[in-house]
Amino acid sequence: MSHRWGLVVDLDRCTGCEACVVACHAENNVPTAGADQAARGRTMQWIRVERTWEGDFPNPKVRFQPVLCQQCDNAPCEPVCPTYASYHTPEGLNAQVYNRCIGTRFCANACPYTVRSFNFFNPKWEMPLNLQLNPDVSVRSVGIMEKCTFCVQRIKSAEIQAEAEKRELKDGEFTTACAQSCASTALVFGDLNDPNSEVSRLASSNRSTKLLGELGTKPNVTYLERGTWQDAKNS
Amino acid sequence: MERRNFIKISALTGVAATLDACRAPDKQLIRFIPEDNLIPGIATWKPGVCTLCSAGCGLLVRVMQGDAEVVRNGQRGLMKMGLAKKLEGSPQNPVNAGKLCARGQAGLQVLYHPDRITHPIKRTGARGSGEFQEISWDDALKEVVSHLTALESSKAANSLAFLSMPLSGQRHKLIESFLKAYGAPPAVWYEPFDEAVLRQANLLSFGHAALPTFELGRADYIISFGADFLGTWNSPVAQSIGYGEMRRGRPGRRGKFVQVESRMSQTGANADEWIACKPGTEGILALGIAHVILSEKLAPQGAETRAGSQIAGWSAGLPEFTPEAVEKQTGVSAAVITRLAHEITQSGSSAAIVGGAPLAQTNGHFNALAVNALESLVDTGRDQNGNLRPILGFTPEPPLSAAEEPAAPAQASFARLNSFAQSALRGQAGAPQMLMLNEANPIFSAPPATRIGEAIARIPYIVSFGGFIDETSVQADLILPDHAPLESWLDSIPESGSLRSMVSLAPPAVSPLHNTRPMPDVLLGLAQQLGGDVAKALPWTSFEAMLKAALVPLRSHGGSVTAKTDDDFWQSMQTQGGWWSAPAAAGSKSAPATLSSATAAKHAPVALTAPEFAGAAGDFPFCFQPYVSQSFGDGSLAHLPWMQELPDVLTTAMWSSWVEINPKTGERLGIQQGDLVEITSQAGSLRVPAVLSPGIAPDLLAMPVGQGHENFGRFATGRGANPLSILAPVAERETGALAWAATRVKLTRVGGPEQAKLVLFAGGMSGFPHEEEPR
Repeated sequence: MSHRWGLVVDLDRCTGCEACVVACHAENNVPTAGADQAARGRTMQWIRVERTWEGDFPNPKVRFQPVLCQQCDNAPCEPVCPTYASYHTPEGLNAQVYNRCIGTRFCANACPYTVRSFNFFNPKWEMPLNLQLNPDVSVRSVGIMEKCTFCVQRIKSAEIQAEAEKRELKDGEFTTACAQSCASTALVFGDLNDPNSEVSRLASSNRSTKLLGELGTKPNVTYLERGTWQDAKNS
Repeated sequence: MERRNFIKISALTGVAATLDACRAPDKQLIRFIPEDNLIPGIATWKPGVCTLCSAGCGLLVRVMQGDAEVVRNGQRGLMKMGLAKKLEGSPQNPVNAGKLCARGQAGLQVLYHPDRITHPIKRTGARGSGEFQEISWDDALKEVVSHLTALESSKAANSLAFLSMPLSGQRHKLIESFLKAYGAPPAVWYEPFDEAVLRQANLLSFGHAALPTFELGRADYIISFGADFLGTWNSPVAQSIGYGEMRRGRPGRRGKFVQVESRMSQTGANADEWIACKPGTEGILALGIAHVILSEKLAPQGAETRAGSQIAGWSAGLPEFTPEAVEKQTGVSAAVITRLAHEITQSGSSAAIVGGAPLAQTNGHFNALAVNALESLVDTGRDQNGNLRPILGFTPEPPLSAAEEPAAPAQASFARLNSFAQSALRGQAGAPQMLMLNEANPIFSAPPATRIGEAIARIPYIVSFGGFIDETSVQADLILPDHAPLESWLDSIPESGSLRSMVSLAPPAVSPLHNTRPMPDVLLGLAQQLGGDVAKALPWTSFEAMLKAALVPLRSHGGSVTAKTDDDFWQSMQTQGGWWSAPAAAGSKSAPATLSSATAAKHAPVALTAPEFAGAAGDFPFCFQPYVSQSFGDGSLAHLPWMQELPDVLTTAMWSSWVEINPKTGERLGIQQGDLVEITSQAGSLRVPAVLSPGIAPDLLAMPVGQGHENFGRFATGRGANPLSILAPVAERETGALAWAATRVKLTRVGGPEQAKLVLFAGGMSGFPHEEEPR
C-alpha cells in the first residue's frame, strides 16, 4: 500500500508548551543560532508555536498555533527551485535535497507559511554538544535551506523494517519527534491513505481546517479548530 | 571482549570529519579500546529518569555508538562509546506515559555541556575567583576525609552542614543517614520555589502533607487559581496528558477550563475564560464562589467537608464572603462570582486547583485552604461506572520499609535556609565549619536579605558535588564533580502525577564521559573511610548495591514487575524503568493521616486574610511577580542553549530577560516595547527590557526567573537580570515559606531598545546594532 503522510494539529489540545520545538531540534540536528544571530532573525525552527493576542486587559485572549512545513500537495516552493532541490516525493512529502541546494532562497520566498530556514552561517556545536547529533540525519552546512521533513529518517527506518519483516506498517508504529513528545496529544501523525488511521479519522473532523487553504497549496497538515465555552460536544 | 584500560596508538583516518568542523583534519589523536559493546548504526533504548524538575518523569534514552574525545588516565584520545542521542518519555511510566516536556528533552544538553566540570578541582585563587586546578580523586578524597576526621576528633561533628537541592528516594536517605551517623544536623534541603504552603494546607484540608494529583482527564470543569499546571507547576506532563483527554479525548464531552490569575501564564492562555484577580485575593474569590454554592444549596454532595471546616464561618455559610464584599476585595464582579458558582456545580465532574503566585503571598496558606475548601465542595468526580471518585487524589507512598521512607521535610525551604545562614553569620558554637554542597544555588536564587553569600563565605571549608560552576559552587574549596544524570544510577519517588504508588529506577544509560564520580558513591566511599558509626550505617560499597537492597523487597508486593528471584526482579525493574502498583481500585484512595489533636488545636479555622506586601504602595506602586520560567525552571537550566533559544511562548523573547508591563501603564510612563527600564524594590534594583503585554494588570509587573546569572557557563553568564535578587525577605505567615510574590516595586524608563537589546522571535529583526559579524 502506498503511503501519504499527514499530520493533524488539534488546536483545542495544544497548550503552547513547546515540547515539540525542542524535540525537533534534538531529533533533526537543528542548529542553535546564538544570541546575535537570533537578533538578526536567523534562528532555525522547523516547528514554531505562533501566538496571537486579542483584546486588552482584563479580557485578553491568546491562541497558540504550531506551524511547520505543511507538506503541500501544490507546494509553491517546488516550482521556483532552479536545481530541483525542493521536490515532491511519491509519498506526499515535500523533500529538500541538501546536496542540490545552491542557496538561492527562492523557495523560502515563495512559501506562504515562512517555514523554511536558511543556514546563513556554518552551524557550530561546541564540543561535546556535537555528541548528541543524530547520525540518521545529515548535518547541513552554510548555504543550505532546510525545513521539516516529517522526520523522514523515521519514516524510512520504519518502512525498511516493515519490508524486511514482510508486513505492512501499522498505524502508530512510529511517529514524528514532535508528535511523540506532545503531552496533550495535539499532534497526531500518520498515513492519510489508511482510512483506519488515527490521522485520517481526525482529519475528517468537522473542526478541520487548513492553514491559508484559500491559497490553493493543498497542505497535508490539518488543523482542528479550538473549541469555545459553549461547545458541549466534540466530533 | 575483555575490557582493559591499556592504550593502543593508531593514526586517525577520517574520524576527525565527524568532529567539530573547526578542528584541523590531520590532528592525530590516540584511540582507546571501547568500554561499551555496541553495533554501529543500531540504536539501543535504555530506561532513564528525568531530574530536571521534581515531577520525576520516566525516560527512554536512545543510545548509539559514536566517537567521543575523552581523557583517560590523563591522556586525551578518541573512544567509541554509547552516546545519548534523543530522550523520549517512557510509555510504561504511570506519570508521563511516553510523553516529555520541553525541558525534559533538553536533558541531553546537560550531559554533553561544554561547561561541565570534567575532573576534581581544588581552589587556588581567592574564594569565588573561579581559579581552580586539577587534583586527583585520591588526593581530593584524602583531603575530604582528613577534614571530616578532624571535625570528629575536635567533637565538632555537629558543625558539618549539607546543603542540597531536594532529593527523593535513596539519595535522600543516604545523605540523611550519613549526617545522622556522623553526628551532624539534618541536611538543609533548599529550592527557591518549594511547595511547603500547599503541603501544609493539604494536610489540614485533606489529611495528606503532599502535592496533589488531579486526574484531569475525567474532569468536565476545572477552575485553577494561579496554577501553571500545563507549564511548570507540580507534574506538568501528567497534567497536560489529562488536559488533552479532558478537551477532546472523550467523544461528546469537552471539559471547560477557567483560569484565575493576575498575569496571563502559558496555562492561562488555554482557558475558555480567563479571570483577572487582584494578587493575593484568590482565596477570597474562591470563598466568594463557595458562599454562593452554600447559600443557594448548589453543592450536590452536601457542605460538610473536612476542608470546609478549616474555614471560619463555613457552617454558617461564609457570611463575610458575599459576592458584593468579595468583588470589592478581588476586583471580580459579583455577577461573575455568582455565574461561576452555578457553572461549576452544573458541570459533571469539577475540580479546583491552586498553585503558584497565590501561595507565594503572606496569606498563601489562607488562599490554599480556601481553594481546597471550594474543591471539596465541587469535586464530584465519577469513574466510568458512575461511582464517586474525586478528580483530586494523593499518590500513595510505595511500600518500602519504614526505615527506607524518607520523612517529608517539615520546614519551608526559605525558613531553613535563613536558619542556616544565621547560624553561619553568628559564628557561635554549632556554626557550620564545613559545608557539603549538592546542586543548590542559593546565592543566585535566595533573596539578598538572607545574606547567604556572606554566610557561606564564613564557612572555613566547602566541598561541592555539583557538575557545573555556578554562583554558589564557585565558592567551594574543592569540587568533586558528580556524573550527569544520564550517567548515574537514579531512583525517584514521584510525589504526584499518578495515583499508583511507584518508584522510578534507572541504571546509567551511558558510560561516564569525563573523570567524574557519582555523588552517592563518593559519600559511601567516605563513609567506609571514616569507619565507626558512619560505616555501619552505610555498609554498601556502591550506590547500586544500596538501591538493590532497598528496592528488591518490593517484589513481594505484586505490581508491575513479576519475577521469581530477587535478581530477576532487579533486572526487570531496571528494564521497566521502575516499579509501580496496580491501578487504584475505583473509589479507593490512600487513607488520610489523622491530625493529632495538638496539630488540630493549633490550626483553628482561618478567617478572611488579606495579602500584605513589602513596600508602601505610595513609593512602590506595582506588585512584582517573578514566575518560574518555562525555559529555565527556577534558573537552574539557563545554561542550556536549546532553552536560551526557545522563544517564550507568550512574548517570543529569546536569549533575554524581560519584564511584562500593561500597555496602558507603558503609555502612561512613556515606555515602549523593547525599552530599557529600571525596577526598584526595597531590596535592590535591576535593569531589564520591557515587553508590553495585555495579559497583565496595570499595577502588576512580571518577570521570568532564570536569567541574570553572574557565573553559570558560556550561554547564561552575564545575560539578562535576576528578579529574585530584588525580592524582599517576606515570609508566608503560617509556614515561613518565601512569599516571592509579595514584593512591591517602582518602575522608570532608563533607555531605548539599543541599550536593552531584547531579542524577540516574532516581529522581524531587532533594530539595535551588533558588534559581531557572522562567520
